[in-house]
Amino acid sequence: MTLAVDSELSALVGTSRVVRDHAACAALAVDGKVPECGVAPATAEQVAAVLRYASKHHLALIPRGNGTKLSMGNPPRRYEVALSIGELNRVIHYEPADLTITVEAGMTFRAFQDLAGQSGLWLPLDPRGGGESSIGGIIAANAAGPLRQGFGGPRDMVLGLKVALPDGKIAKTGGRVVKNVAGYDLGKLLTGSCGTLGVIVEASLKLFPKLPERATFAMSAGTLGNAKDLRRSILRSPLDALRLVLLDSPAVALLDDSAPGNERPGAQLWIELGGSHRVIERCMLELRQLTAAVGATMARREGAVEAWGRVSNLAHWLQQKYRDVTVLKAALPAVASEEFLSRAQQEAEAERIALASFAQVGLGIVHLCVLQEDVARTCSVGPRLVPDGQGKAADLQNRSALHLLAGLGERLRKAAVDLGGTLVIEHCPLELKGQVDAWGAGGDDLEAMRKIKVAWDPLEVLSPGRFVGGI
Amino acid sequence: MKFKGLFGELVRIVSEDGVLWRQEDLMLYEYDALSSLRQPDAVVFPRKTEHVVQIARLALRHNLPLVARGAGTGLSGGSVATEGGILLGFSRMKQILEIDLENQRARVQPGVVNLDLSLAVADEGYYYAPDPSSQKACTIGGNVAENSGGPHTLAYGVTTNHILGLEVVLPDGEVIHTGASYWDRPGYDLTGVFVGSEGTLGIVTEATVRLSRKPEAVKTLLAIYDQVVHATRTVAAITARGITPAALEMMDGFTLRAVEEATHAGYPMDCAAVLLIEVEGLREAVEEHADEIEAVCRENQAREVRRAKSAEERDLLWKGRKTAFGALGRISPNYYVQDGVIPRTRLPEMLDFIGSIEKKYDLRIGNIFHAGDGNLHPLIMYDERDRDQTARVVKAAKDIIMRCVEMGGSITGEHGVGLEKSDLMPLIFSENDLELMGRIKNLFNPLGRLNPGKLLPTGKMCGELRGGIAGGGPV
Repeated sequence: MTLAVDSELSALVGTSRVVRDHAACAALAVDGKVPECGVAPATAEQVAAVLRYASKHHLALIPRGNGTKLSMGNPPRRYEVALSIGELNRVIHYEPADLTITVEAGMTFRAFQDLAGQSGLWLPLDPRGGGESSIGGIIAANAAGPLRQGFGGPRDMVLGLKVALPDGKIAKTGGRVVKNVAGYDLGKLLTGSCGTLGVIVEASLKLFPKLPERATFAMSAGTLGNAKDLRRSILRSPLDALRLVLLDSPAVALLDDSAPGNERPGAQLWIELGGSHRVIERCMLELRQLTAAVGATMARREGAVEAWGRVSNLAHWLQQKYRDVTVLKAALPAVASEEFLSRAQQEAEAERIALASFAQVGLGIVHLCVLQEDVARTCSVGPRLVPDGQGKAADLQNRSALHLLAGLGERLRKAAVDLGGTLVIEHCPLELKGQVDAWGAGGDDLEAMRKIKVAWDPLEVLSPGRFVGGI
Repeated sequence: MKFKGLFGELVRIVSEDGVLWRQEDLMLYEYDALSSLRQPDAVVFPRKTEHVVQIARLALRHNLPLVARGAGTGLSGGSVATEGGILLGFSRMKQILEIDLENQRARVQPGVVNLDLSLAVADEGYYYAPDPSSQKACTIGGNVAENSGGPHTLAYGVTTNHILGLEVVLPDGEVIHTGASYWDRPGYDLTGVFVGSEGTLGIVTEATVRLSRKPEAVKTLLAIYDQVVHATRTVAAITARGITPAALEMMDGFTLRAVEEATHAGYPMDCAAVLLIEVEGLREAVEEHADEIEAVCRENQAREVRRAKSAEERDLLWKGRKTAFGALGRISPNYYVQDGVIPRTRLPEMLDFIGSIEKKYDLRIGNIFHAGDGNLHPLIMYDERDRDQTARVVKAAKDIIMRCVEMGGSITGEHGVGLEKSDLMPLIFSENDLELMGRIKNLFNPLGRLNPGKLLPTGKMCGELRGGIAGGGPV
């Protein structure tokens, strides 16, 4: 970046809103790529001005809230400017009785929930990144956690968006009323676009009344087959689960803070239910019958809030124990969840790779976590891997854990595709980046997606190369 | 027929019984529920996606407009061939292709009637949630195009929240598949863009929809008021208690009397307004909510709160609500329905305003609407033969929609922009906003031959409601 270009940026947002020193920029790295500068505009207009500036100088820019979801996606082809929306954190419009709110996109999810909570309201989401996430980031990633079972995802809660475009224009889509079909629903296009079409600067959202009580029950299913029967009977019952997650044995152990693999607690199906005390009592009764019918046991899980926080923010939680954790997300027809889990377990066992699985079985969203501390080391398990033949074992000794991981990722993706779904890499060690595509193959609508990208961001200013099909 | 040779080419694609071209046949396709405008040059009935592909290519070759039509129940002129051309009728693509109850999905052709889908899975305890009042006739394809709502969308969302994937034929004949039968297929949410695009981006030839499980219990309440303002105040008071009813509808006394005379649903003839409220879910939750709602209604001066005692009573109350437009047709030669949205807390103020408009223009306005989500449907009565009155209707409708915009609302909640409101779009969208929409349109429909004159402003009559609204559909 030349000095002239540099001072132009400072003039747009003020010197104090631009960082250039290496340490500060290194903290803004994406997939190991360090930007040349970081900028934190204070207003939507400044965001637009920075985008216009980036377009003018052909600089690539990656927008970020708090960076909680930036490990998703392929490595950027180029990356010069980190644009933080954290300073945009004001409330624009809020009338609790309308159950709607308009805020700037940089507001943290925690601050947002605190504000809504004062009126007994909330946004029923448990996104990856938790309270540190920004509202804009949640929408850009369409980050839905297990609560989608009961309430839908960000896609269903966004009423309107204001977005800064690469050409420096600001446009809005939708509105701030709960029902609105005026014009193309471009909010849907931006939700989940992962910062490749525009920078979301403001969002109008639907709010929900908080439930009087919530309770979590853990059902010990034993086998996957039992878990499947139980899942089916729950989904057919009148119970409205808020969250429904199947944890495999290692996942249960991890949540109980014991080492996975030492003892086998067996798979558990967790369900969260909500309502009045009387409603929860009734649910418990219903659940007890359903559980007994498949020969499983159940227990109320007290203090489940922390556990649910971990389950919805897997990479963040598991990284503390397994530095090089990989989180794969399979999206499947719901009925295929257990079958996929069983195949994943077989694949991992064959490679002696430790895996923990968290499956939103009502939605067909399965998170597989590969538990590794150091993926760069040469595979140390050596011959123990293959008990049947010295030749193959010798060959394996030369393969790094990274190769094993890449191979596993590809095979699991194939398994997901075979079952009629897809698999994306949500989080992985840097070394795996670029070795396995983060998203998988596109469909016959990929060309249309590319055209949209070109129509909105012809100069590839925004997050180039990070999205599906090289977008 | 306008284009020589076209008929023969269409017959080659769909055979002779799949094409209408005689004047007397085309007449039946010159209107929808908004108005009657002009005839298409031909109506074609494809039987499969491949037919649509070939018809699209043919239209492209002849540079003809191509307009898709479901049942023609739309209220914004979306399915009228305003510039002639080929009208695609989907009455022969009405198969439910797949029902997958365990995944709570169905794959359907666009001509499937909304209610038929629910009936097909009813015995198993499932249904398709979006329920427009026209659900006995309207099609899933039309619902997708208009992103249709209905009374129960308050709790369950509108069409877009229930569509997972689409098969779409683009204007050049290319077929693409958006979304999937599962959540979170990677990539841009093209399904979300096509839903509500009013047939201007592509022709939907198949949809994968979500099926919902029927609730264990339903309770339907009818709260009766002597003053409209007490009913409108109740609406926000209910949501303030943390209750989201499955439906929360309002009808004023004028509408009610017309409805009662037509349906004999048992509505009171002497009140100022009623709220029709429904709660669904677990038995215990429903009882609690119904009691609480009843208390809120009484706190807000409801004269009486009735509960439907049987499924028959419930059906009768809903029949009254869903056939209200037709009932008003019995007492007025024409009516014009608005579809504005406001924040629900502004309802009392808005109803006062509509009352003042009634006086100002010396018109009769019935009010029937989705109160829970602030979606108004003022029905303005008139006689199209009275030109002065018709002109006043246009002014009144515009005043109401302007007030919605001032209150931070929208010009359409569920009927769509269509032909009716394309030139009102600048009221709520800036040049930048519209330009961004234009980029999407140009990308999919660069020649503008797909449903021309809809959704985006044409600039012809900027800011004015068209006189064409005065047609009045078959009521």
